[in-house]
Amino acid sequence: MNADKKIIQIATDVLVIGGGTAGVAAALEVAGQGYKVVLTSKEDKVAQEAKDGAVADLTAKAEANANIEIMTNTVAADVKGVPGKFEVTLKTGDAAVEKTFGAIVVATGLTTTVLNDAYGLEMGPKVVSQSELEAMLAEGKLEAGKTVAFLVGFGQEGNPLVMQRVLDSLTALTKVADTDAYVFVGDIKLAADGLDALYAQARQEGVIYFKTKETPQVTVGDAMTISILDPVLRQRVEVQPDLVVVEEAILADEDNAALAVPLEIEADNNGFLQPDNVHYFPVKSTRLGIYLAGASRDLLSFEQGLEDAGNVALEVKKFLGDGNLEVPSNTAFVDVDKCTVCLTCYRCCPHGAIYWDSRAIIAESACQGCGICASECPNDAIQLGDYADDAMAQAVKDGQGSAGKSPWIVAFCCKNSGLEAMKMAKAFGYRVPAGLQAIEVPCAGKIDMDYVMDAFVQGADGVMLLTCHNGNCKSDKGALYASWRAEEIKKMLAAVGMPEDRLVCASLANNMGRTFSEISVELERSIKKAGS
Amino acid sequence: MIVAERKPFDEISDLLAGYDKVLTVGCKTCVAVCLAGGEKEAALLNKELMLARKVAGKPVETCAALVERQCDMEFLAELDDIVDQYDAIVSMACGAGVQFMAERYPTKPVLPGVNTTFIGVNRDVGWYEEKCRSCGNCLLGVTGGICPITMCAKSLMNGPCGGTNQTSCEINKDQPCAWYAIYQRLAGQDRLDNILKMTEIMDWRNNVPRTIVQPGYEQRKAAFSDK
Repeated sequence: MNADKKIIQIATDVLVIGGGTAGVAAALEVAGQGYKVVLTSKEDKVAQEAKDGAVADLTAKAEANANIEIMTNTVAADVKGVPGKFEVTLKTGDAAVEKTFGAIVVATGLTTTVLNDAYGLEMGPKVVSQSELEAMLAEGKLEAGKTVAFLVGFGQEGNPLVMQRVLDSLTALTKVADTDAYVFVGDIKLAADGLDALYAQARQEGVIYFKTKETPQVTVGDAMTISILDPVLRQRVEVQPDLVVVEEAILADEDNAALAVPLEIEADNNGFLQPDNVHYFPVKSTRLGIYLAGASRDLLSFEQGLEDAGNVALEVKKFLGDGNLEVPSNTAFVDVDKCTVCLTCYRCCPHGAIYWDSRAIIAESACQGCGICASECPNDAIQLGDYADDAMAQAVKDGQGSAGKSPWIVAFCCKNSGLEAMKMAKAFGYRVPAGLQAIEVPCAGKIDMDYVMDAFVQGADGVMLLTCHNGNCKSDKGALYASWRAEEIKKMLAAVGMPEDRLVCASLANNMGRTFSEISVELERSIKKAGS
Repeated sequence: MIVAERKPFDEISDLLAGYDKVLTVGCKTCVAVCLAGGEKEAALLNKELMLARKVAGKPVETCAALVERQCDMEFLAELDDIVDQYDAIVSMACGAGVQFMAERYPTKPVLPGVNTTFIGVNRDVGWYEEKCRSCGNCLLGVTGGICPITMCAKSLMNGPCGGTNQTSCEINKDQPCAWYAIYQRLAGQDRLDNILKMTEIMDWRNNVPRTIVQPGYEQRKAAFSDK
């Protein structure tokens, strides 16, 4: 961001979507920081899942907290506005209310689907899903003296959460009198806190595990059988269970995809709301002001969801503060006379900072000053503080004649990478062309095609576009836009009879001073060669 | 909206051969939205032209201007004061805008900067799809909101031809069969009876230059035309 700052007022109420444990815990943590919280649950209550009394405690605490308003049977039907001022329509049945929030926390849960098809099994009273068994155990409906067989790891790639459920059920089962338990396991994973201990404990209690590659053959009927070729005994083993428990896949909440659209955040391929990118860890979404707790962001356990709650509260506090948000005074500005609401800026903004109300509007609270919008706008209706079009053209003009007899090379440098690399090259005494003129841009996404063409028109012998590495751009896609534009400019140069290699687009890290030197010297060399 | 594509530079360059003062005029509406002829594209074209002439040793003076809509004479009139300073005008508007500009300045060469391509929709930034051929006899009410004139390679009016391959068209497996899509859409709305409404073949004789006077404006047109 740029040096000049100013203060704007933002809303400080926080919406927490999802009444599971992670949602209730996040609401408590955020309320604990002094913010007013609305906690919504699409169910008729919050945090239904119980575990060791922890959930009941959380729920009671949330209900007693004066800063938390709990809205059950409620969904966020629409989200408008921008970070610091989200206008959310909350629907409870047919009744709708609109509320303003500074930040939103998404704490949707997980959903399950039973994998009976993998075993060729039909579900019935004697063939139950993991969820059905859990309900039976919770309600004390499993009779004494039964033999229970679990099938797990033949219908999906293993996951610790899947195994945790089986092991928790085994712990409960061993407390039911005269119960025998067998677990047939294929591809499973136990790499999570405490799972090894649970596994060992169940074994000690008499649970028998069979590990095999072959999917067990199950015969259903009055007398059920499960048979496998035991790889240790090297003979067929047959078990006659009274109850077969079929594993379930644990998936992202079905609501995530529908929520991602109005929230303007990106879901990953598995339907979770956090991309696999370290920039977003631990609880950030792709949009400022929207945070993710627990299973909304990944396949996470109950305990991990509770850990997220604390991190969410820290991020919320960091963003909302006391409602006075410091923003760069150089955020992008829309000339309403020129704007034709083509939506290009809205669609290109990587920060979800643009919306429209008859003309494009850029939210000061969310604009990061990258300038991608300004450089994509077909009517030049968007200008960005110190990097306005006329200032950039002047910067090029100012360099005219500065190169003397050396080739004039205009280098548009992202200030996060290219500019630092140039400073390093100079500080370390690496060779830099005498006629090199560096022009700072806030992000390579601000390098307008017109600036580059203008530099050539003004007489530049070569132009460099120096970007961050793709995938490491602070504005996500700025480097990508710059590289696409460079390809188009090369086509234009070819059309007008200029050598294409007069334009160089390269990605640098800020510590790549030597590469800066090599690239710029090579460009100078090729210009000189062509001139000689 | 109307969708256009920038003409290849060589073609524009040839059209402008011999002119040393060029006014390039963008249009703020359709061609700006489809990223072909707004202020940015007008300025970029000028830069290409200047660079090409520089390389060729024949400098050119250029100016870029933007007009709200080149299909309205009142907006074109805003250029009246500057047009005389230039030898030629490049209009970045659709074909309608170019012709209206040429009509406004009959003594100036007015040259097109874009190829007007179709009436279409905006899928994403820079990505447009044709949806309407402006045939003048809209059938969308009985075709489930899918235009067979535009979307069927043969513009068939009464069901698919023998080249339909369920979902795709014989011209290209990536081209959906319009009539298959129409059938699916109508079936989904329980309106399949619509597909039996025989439609007479299109009277393409209507494709002479057309004029539309909206209801209530006939008298205004008569009064205006008399002047």
